[in-house]
Amino acid sequence: MDIYLPIAEVAVNAPLIVALGALVGFISGMFGIGGGFLMTPLLVFFGIPAPVAVSSMALHVAGSSMSSVMAYGRRRAVDLRMGGVLAAGGVVGAVVGVELFRVLRLLGQADLIVALSYLVFLSVIGGLMLTESLSAIARRRRGEPALAHRDRRPIWLYGLPLKLRFPRSRLYISVIPPLVLGAFVGVLSAIMGVGGGFILVPAMIYILRMPAGMVVGTSLLQIIVTTALTGILQAGRNQTVDVVLATLLLIGGVVGAQLGARASSRFRAEELRAILALIVLLVGLRMGLGLFLTPEEPFVLMSGMVG
Amino acid sequence: MTLLAALALATAPVQPTPAAPAISAALTDTNVRVSSDFSGARIILYGAVFDPSTRPSDVVVLVRGPEHPVRITRRHKVAGLWLNSRPVVFRGAPGFYRAASNRPLADIANFGTLRRLGAGMDHLPISAPGEQRTETRYGVRDVVVSRLGVDYYVWRRAVVRLKQNAGLYDEDERGVNFVDRGLFRAEISLPAGAPTGVYRADILLFQDGRPVASRSRTLTVEKVGLERALYVWAHVRPWSYGLASMAFALAAGWAASAAFRRE
Repeated sequence: MDIYLPIAEVAVNAPLIVALGALVGFISGMFGIGGGFLMTPLLVFFGIPAPVAVSSMALHVAGSSMSSVMAYGRRRAVDLRMGGVLAAGGVVGAVVGVELFRVLRLLGQADLIVALSYLVFLSVIGGLMLTESLSAIARRRRGEPALAHRDRRPIWLYGLPLKLRFPRSRLYISVIPPLVLGAFVGVLSAIMGVGGGFILVPAMIYILRMPAGMVVGTSLLQIIVTTALTGILQAGRNQTVDVVLATLLLIGGVVGAQLGARASSRFRAEELRAILALIVLLVGLRMGLGLFLTPEEPFVLMSGMVG
Repeated sequence: MTLLAALALATAPVQPTPAAPAISAALTDTNVRVSSDFSGARIILYGAVFDPSTRPSDVVVLVRGPEHPVRITRRHKVAGLWLNSRPVVFRGAPGFYRAASNRPLADIANFGTLRRLGAGMDHLPISAPGEQRTETRYGVRDVVVSRLGVDYYVWRRAVVRLKQNAGLYDEDERGVNFVDRGLFRAEISLPAGAPTGVYRADILLFQDGRPVASRSRTLTVEKVGLERALYVWAHVRPWSYGLASMAFALAAGWAASAAFRRE
């Protein structure tokens, strides 16, 4: 059953796209991430023009994150103040990112930057997460206690000015690191068509040292604000948001996310992180591979934006 | 007076001139509607050749979609990485192109005629004006030179090849079939990715390598219903479209969460 997408101007198989939304939604609900890093390459693989895939993904990420954040909010697992600071940085980052993406597309270098971002960020994050989670699994097998994180918080977090209290997270730190982190994720969200959870979650755990219970809910809040803004900006500036595509993805995505959240309770936290790390690493390497392999067709048509 | 009339009669041609050959054609469908279930369309073109003489006739059908400038980039290796070059804009490329004929175009007319009519994928008037400049060479003024140099033809061919791979350009040297004496038929298939706009079908009659008669028909491909409404909204009022679609996505997420909570 094919459906014609009015903005992407291609026909896609509707059940396939819904299934894709459900699969990514399942992974997203299971690991507490947006899943955009997985969805955008898959959409491009199925023939959706890259700018449309990147922009329409913002709607899917915002919608499925909304669906999950409600559940975390009911469990009081969202630090609104930290989320607000991250989101403030995210707003600046998203505006910069959308403009940057526009310039990159005009220069014809958007593909390169997207592929490089995927290669660098996904393989670094995936690699770090994999080593960390594997060593945690190994420690548990040997019967050793898990490493305590509390006392390893970096000193520079306290040296910076503009300190603010975050009672929910039991933190008293400068607002500069979360602001910078939020802005950085905002830029990535616009360029890579991702929510940025895969960077935000580890950064909040390992750099800001937030309590693990607060991390996922708070990062989802920041992701909603950033991707909502990115989606609106992409629609307004680049006219690349396809609401029909986003609807198909959302149908599968919201159901998948709820099922994934239930399935996640069957695994241990470090096992989940190891699986997620593997997925992240594989996607990053696959996207980066395109930069090194000799293309069959040396010429590439670039959609839209002529003049 | 009678002398004048007699003179006029005498100068008039004695034998009646044979009627000039003519061609006529019609499309089964002149309006293609792109709605949510659109997955391409097939249009049949019927036509007739009127020629009292028995000279052999060839029929060429050229269908051209609305022109879209094309941005193309070439990947080349820099320090082990495959990078995109500066994009080049080609103009004059139709968004859709079909050339159908009853035998190979090269057998019907010579290179110059085909080039002039834009008949055949190799003869499309595609050029990159942004890369051109005029200079004086060997004392000849205003020579048009492309900054792409000799590679220019490689680029130009790449535009056609990529469009062909996307199913937008095609050439069918058996696409026109004579079903009866003077009566012919051709099939135009539009892929799902065919651009919207006004298409022009030129039906040309060739005799002895020269075009002797022609007809043109127009064909409109337009989005209808919800597809059209969304497309127009997204392009005319992009900000309100963005706000509304994002509000819809967030509401859908909230509704899903509420629905699952009740279970």
